Amino acid sequence: MQNITVTINGEKKEVFFEGGETLLEIIRDNLNLTGTKYGCGQGACGACTVVINGEAKKSCMVLFRRLDSAEILTIEGLTKNGKLHPIQKAFIDADAVHCGFCTPGIIMELYALFTKNPDATEEEIKKTLNAHLCRCTGYLPLIDAAKIAQKYYKESLRKEA
Amino acid sequence: MEYKYIGKDAKRPNAVERVSGRAIFVDDIKLPQMLYAKILYPKYAHAKILSIDTSEAEKMQGVVKVVTGKNIKHPFGDCLHDRLPMAVDKVRYIGEPVAAVIADTERHARAALSKIKVEYKPFPVYTDALEALKKDAALIHEHSEKYFYVSPLYKPTPGTNIAISHEIKKGDIENGFEKADVTAEDEFYFHHMSSVAIEPHATIALHHIDGTLEIWTSNVGPFAVREQVAEFFGKNISDVRVHIPHIGGCFGYKSDPGIEPLVAYIASFVPGRPVKLRLTRKEDFTSTFIGRGIRAHIKVGATKDGKLTALEETLYLSTGAYADTGSNVLIVSVQTSGGVYYFPNAHVKGYSAYTNTPPVGALRAYGHPESEFAIERIMNILARKLKMSPNELRKKNYITEGKTNVVGEKFKKSDGDLLKCTDNVLEAIPPKLDVKEDDKFYYGVGYAGLIKAPKAATFASKGCHIKFNADGTVSLNMAGGDVGQGLWTVARQIAAEALKMSPDKIRVYNEIDTQYSPWEWQTVGSMFTFQGGNAIIRAANKAIDTLKRNASLVLKRDPDMLKYDGEYVYDRSYPDARIAVKDICRGYITKDGTTVGEIVDVTSYYRLPGVQNPDPETGLGRTGGSYTMGFQGCKVKIDKQTGKIYIDQFATSIDVGKVIYPKGAKAQVLGGVLMGIGETLMEEVRFKENGELANPNLIRYKLPRIEDLPAKQIIKFVETTDATGPYGARGLGEHPLIGVAPAILNAIYSAIGYDFKEVPVTSDKIKKALEEKDLLKNSKED
Repeated sequence: MQNITVTINGEKKEVFFEGGETLLEIIRDNLNLTGTKYGCGQGACGACTVVINGEAKKSCMVLFRRLDSAEILTIEGLTKNGKLHPIQKAFIDADAVHCGFCTPGIIMELYALFTKNPDATEEEIKKTLNAHLCRCTGYLPLIDAAKIAQKYYKESLRKEA
Repeated sequence: MEYKYIGKDAKRPNAVERVSGRAIFVDDIKLPQMLYAKILYPKYAHAKILSIDTSEAEKMQGVVKVVTGKNIKHPFGDCLHDRLPMAVDKVRYIGEPVAAVIADTERHARAALSKIKVEYKPFPVYTDALEALKKDAALIHEHSEKYFYVSPLYKPTPGTNIAISHEIKKGDIENGFEKADVTAEDEFYFHHMSSVAIEPHATIALHHIDGTLEIWTSNVGPFAVREQVAEFFGKNISDVRVHIPHIGGCFGYKSDPGIEPLVAYIASFVPGRPVKLRLTRKEDFTSTFIGRGIRAHIKVGATKDGKLTALEETLYLSTGAYADTGSNVLIVSVQTSGGVYYFPNAHVKGYSAYTNTPPVGALRAYGHPESEFAIERIMNILARKLKMSPNELRKKNYITEGKTNVVGEKFKKSDGDLLKCTDNVLEAIPPKLDVKEDDKFYYGVGYAGLIKAPKAATFASKGCHIKFNADGTVSLNMAGGDVGQGLWTVARQIAAEALKMSPDKIRVYNEIDTQYSPWEWQTVGSMFTFQGGNAIIRAANKAIDTLKRNASLVLKRDPDMLKYDGEYVYDRSYPDARIAVKDICRGYITKDGTTVGEIVDVTSYYRLPGVQNPDPETGLGRTGGSYTMGFQGCKVKIDKQTGKIYIDQFATSIDVGKVIYPKGAKAQVLGGVLMGIGETLMEEVRFKENGELANPNLIRYKLPRIEDLPAKQIIKFVETTDATGPYGARGLGEHPLIGVAPAILNAIYSAIGYDFKEVPVTSDKIKKALEEKDLLKNSKED
């Protein structure tokens, strides 16, 4: 058994593990944060995307032991005090939540994108989301949702400022 | 007719859970004392199992039990009982479970797999029906004569690899071809593919020590799972309880019992302890159902003015190692072989052949894209021979009012306006191209009609349970799986309309439990809106009748003198005489406490009326019941140097009867068209000669991404009120992918004059075609 300390959704945690686990395995199986999904295990579908130190990463491709002191944000951490994050709200308003399995990964991807670059262009949004697979929506509702999400997110940043 | 809630956009009742990561899918469930299973797969795709030695594996850390198929007493199934949850004495495909390890953790279970020793005697491997049907081919099922089948439709042919066969004979085929001035004949092939929901299959099974069995699984056929598993174990159906939490997409392969019988079998070795099996993406490709895999040999005849006279066709389905779930794929494909066209004479035969691949099962619109691909391609080829525009030929031969399809079902005006759909698409994407080519690209346009009926079991029904609560709100329970298509939203809208109350007052179920949910056959065939919607209306009417009977006791008027508006029941002539719904939905409590009237808690069901099995002699009969028709077209451009194809525009027009949930309906088309583009241009389950899958992962199996979207999409719904659908609505979910492959291939012909007869058509294949036609432009020449 090994252990490292990470900050998960704002909470510092010492996590014990065997050694070869991916971040996805730790998040789902050890920490019971099941909003992050396994879709392919090879970084091809994006369903397991989380934010590590501000960057969107496919958690199935990240070895947990390399994350000492890292700040990790999962979909569960985006909802604060039972209140949906503006990006989450945008997905509902745009009717882009279909089976919902790829949704958390896509939302985390957009969170990282808009935090770094609130003015990302539509081309940048599409390029970023091209790393995600969705079988339900035909993607256009997701792109619409992303644009609304960007608007809501920027509004929320202005309010905070 | 003006509606208050249907036809308008609505919020999905499950969206908050799903957007926040709180929605619970099967793999998110952990039960006390839960164990994990991992599966051992064979080295060969077709082999006799000589011996299995599990002794070393049993000694491994954390291992609780190693399971083999030796305790299995009989096969199971739905139509043709030829399936086994785990191999018994032979393996028939590379993804077939040979043994399973149950351990305290998944890691420990996986580690023990390599310690199981199996000896095999390999047999020849067939991945294509045509190989398996050759004389002297090794038999994949040596004793198919022993298999039970529910009707002669599913009777196998022992001594051959033919699992089932099906035939339709309409009119006089010889006479039909005698009347033809022109014929066109060709062969087409629709490859195998996978449904690839982003959520892989997962199941938990728990054999309670009292003998009951509980299952949690990702499947839209909970009652089918329950019945087949109960029969397999010889249990009462009532002693098997199936839970369906949120489902991460289906697209077909989660609609028949898949891994559930396997997990239930494994878990039976550790009574009292739940066992979870979650498939890896690779296993999801190799060890669940795949789809398509149909070859078509088609011949059509027409008079010189373009009237179709005859259709002769033979279909071969490479059905995989077990034929049960592919049987209806073949039958449906035969029944839909005429597409949207009227043929006075038709003779169509189909054979489903055992092969050494994963079994074929449902995949969005199963049976339809396969044979409609053949008919829509041959219509273009026939039009060329007739020197007629393909769309003129199409329009001349539609199954319009009073005409029959190839199984002899007569169409009504209310079945839809296909001509209007055609015109919508032709207006959006005109057949005449302004530019045929420029420096970089060849341009082309192509079109195809589409048609589909639910094609479910004749007894297939959906149920709706409406429970009025003490405050006048409603709890609505059904068993339709919301796999992303939005049916919980549709259910709430229809219930709101039928009960005349705001959707906010209606709580829709968000999980299915066979103990409490009303029985439903399976959420398949794009029929939830149609059947489920009618079940809701029936239940709502029953509830309103009950409310009126209760009100009549209070208001002292006969029930038929009363009206209901969602909040009150009142005298229709003197509306001031009224009683609130909330005061009578649990009966009415009088001043002294005595209570009269009924509890407003009702259940109703709906099935397609009059759907029958095909006639045993001719194959004809009312086998569809309710059809949805449409038309699709596209404009493509092909890169002269690389062969890469771009879809500039894609247009779809479908007569859905009535749009209930506009955003949801549009999204079904967007998702369906893109899945159609996937199966046309990139998606394919490829087999090596030894039966292994060449690409069982999402890196090598290409799924459409944002970069593959058509540059522009046009969607137009036509609303010809259906005679029996709820508020005139018809099914829509699967239809938008049916015309995609032929429309794109017809467009490729229009661009480069090359007739592709198989999908997928990759850029490499187009490049080769350009070379063959001497159309490839080398960049150095420019």
